[in-house]
Amino acid sequence: MRAGRPSVGLLPWGFCFALFGLFPLLYALTLSFQQMNPLRPDASHFVGLANYAHALGSPSFWHALRTTVIFVVGTLPVTLVLAYGVAALLARIRRAQSFFRAAIFFPATLSMVVIALVFKSLYAEDGLLNGWLASAGLARVHWLQDPRLALPSIMLMDIWASVGYYAILILAGRKTLPVEQLEAARLEGLTAWQVERSIVLPHLRPVILFVVLLNTIRSFQVFIEVFVLTRGGPLESTLTLVFYLYERAFYHFEMGYACAIAYLLLALVGIVLLIQRRVLRSTGAPA
Amino acid sequence: MGTQGHRGLSAGARLRPLLRGLARLAHVAAVFAVCAIAGAGCGKRGSGKTTVVFWQFSPLATVQPVLDRFRTENPTLDVQVEQLTWQSGREKIVAAIAAGRPPDLCELGSTFLPGLVADSTLMDLTDSTADLRSALVGWDGVSYRGHAYAIPWMLGTRALYVQQDLFRRAGLDPEKPPTTWAELRDAARRITERVPDAKGFGMNAGEREILFKKFMPFAWGNGGDILDSTQTRSVINSPQNLEALRFYLSLKPYSLLERQEMHEQAFAKGRLGIIISGPWLLRTLPKTAPDAHYQAVLMPRPAPGRGKPASFAGAEVLGIFRGSKHRAEAMRLARFLVRPENTMPLFLATGNAFPAAASAAADSYFATHPMDRVFLEQLRYAVSPPLHPKWVEIEEIVNGELEQAIYGSKTPEQALAEADVRITQVLSRTP
Repeated sequence: MRAGRPSVGLLPWGFCFALFGLFPLLYALTLSFQQMNPLRPDASHFVGLANYAHALGSPSFWHALRTTVIFVVGTLPVTLVLAYGVAALLARIRRAQSFFRAAIFFPATLSMVVIALVFKSLYAEDGLLNGWLASAGLARVHWLQDPRLALPSIMLMDIWASVGYYAILILAGRKTLPVEQLEAARLEGLTAWQVERSIVLPHLRPVILFVVLLNTIRSFQVFIEVFVLTRGGPLESTLTLVFYLYERAFYHFEMGYACAIAYLLLALVGIVLLIQRRVLRSTGAPA
Repeated sequence: MGTQGHRGLSAGARLRPLLRGLARLAHVAAVFAVCAIAGAGCGKRGSGKTTVVFWQFSPLATVQPVLDRFRTENPTLDVQVEQLTWQSGREKIVAAIAAGRPPDLCELGSTFLPGLVADSTLMDLTDSTADLRSALVGWDGVSYRGHAYAIPWMLGTRALYVQQDLFRRAGLDPEKPPTTWAELRDAARRITERVPDAKGFGMNAGEREILFKKFMPFAWGNGGDILDSTQTRSVINSPQNLEALRFYLSLKPYSLLERQEMHEQAFAKGRLGIIISGPWLLRTLPKTAPDAHYQAVLMPRPAPGRGKPASFAGAEVLGIFRGSKHRAEAMRLARFLVRPENTMPLFLATGNAFPAAASAAADSYFATHPMDRVFLEQLRYAVSPPLHPKWVEIEEIVNGELEQAIYGSKTPEQALAEADVRITQVLSRTP
């Protein structure tokens, strides 16, 4: 059998990537240096770095960035710890393994819009959560109407939605654990915690790094949750960077400015990923 | 083995299959391009008919019979209709305009109009609709400085809904709905205080984008406004608006602070006494709460004999873009669509908005549906937001300051004063 010609085989993907990935990316970069109103594309003109300067000088941009960072910092470690714990539990389950794995992974198969709509009902004034609180004799909580609770409520939903996916990734990593080492550790009388720390965790570092990077990128892009649940409110307490970008692009028709924000976000995510890689590398993980 | 054989080939031989692949790809692309040009370029199909591209928000099954009648009446024209959603329609329209391929005729929400007018995207229809002025109502919402930029098609407004079961439980007369601000507050207070687990009034929270629609009716009813009649000066920090905002906030202790859909659910469940909502609730309540007793009434006025029972006027209008390919044909379709015999079926099918055709009010349907008639009456007092090119920014300011007042981060005085300063800044900025 002859080996295929990789260059020809890659053509469809390359064509699609160039058309739907690379071209929009580069086009957005050129737009970020223009004042561009999508309703008047003919009146677009070059403004240099003005859009970037506008963003960096805008209190709304910094507020949205702060909200986004809180979201990332609040969800990332919790998701990671929970996913790790769930994976560890799944690895120990001996009966109905497939069922539990499927159940844990189930949220990852749902569209975020669907999840957000379900949580919208759960968080409602007379929703399930408040029903439980009321039956326990506690006061109802305005999950999405209280500026102090709206963002944590969205973060909670996001954690629920993503834990299963990352847990399955970590579980896949656990399947490659060195059986001999584990057996030797058991014979030497190491406790489960010692085994986890000295053998499992170092072995899983590449997977954990992958999960952290993936979750970081996804969390910085948080949009659908906000769009469906709160639209940035109340009192802009859930105004994330991508939602801010969307509002500027499609409500204020400031497409150039929105593209500049997108590139600032890209730069920020890039820097954070580099730092994460360095940190995880320095702790011994191959990257 | 195969890879070794491959390595033995000359560069030209290696490239040949790649070039053949590229040629095939180019061929396919060319066919697609030709198909696209043939299909959309001149808007004429094989039959020689001109095709008018029409984007709208109603279910296709509802609008299709009307369009079939149009096709019969205009045998040289065809209509390619597409349904937009209120969630993503705006983005789709913007993208189409940006791509230089807008539809010929497009249904637009009245709140979307200012941005399009500001950017001279819509055709000025003043002259071509002069004969429709008396036949349709709602021109205020589509006109800027005496020029009409769209044609009113369907009109919507909000009225007060009263939960009569809760009124009864609170010791109020269910046949005497509140007609003044004081009566509204009193009813809301009594329901909150006397009925366990119920609230008197639905105050919108957590959806900043609609706050002005809920508050401004009280301000408009009290003689207040956002801009002056010339639309060049902010008048938001007026005594009338301040009085209205103070009253509105005085309802807060007796209010359920939630989103509109939650208000409507709580109302249907008999847990909320009074809400402001649109005619769509008349269609859903018989299904969601068949045993509930309720009434739709006019918005309350500030005091007996003072002010008016104002409400927010929304509209679904028909616009023709400057970039539209078939403007004359689009106008023919628009003129056909706004006829009362064509708008009544849409109203009966959706029940969300009323025909802009003035004569539709005389339709026998309204004689037998008194609550729908209330909305027709409410439309007489409904006010459209100004069709100002900077309305998007002004609306954002008003909503933001109202939200701060509702959440108590600002006093009514601070909120209106700050709104005034910010709107004045926006108005003074050159476009």
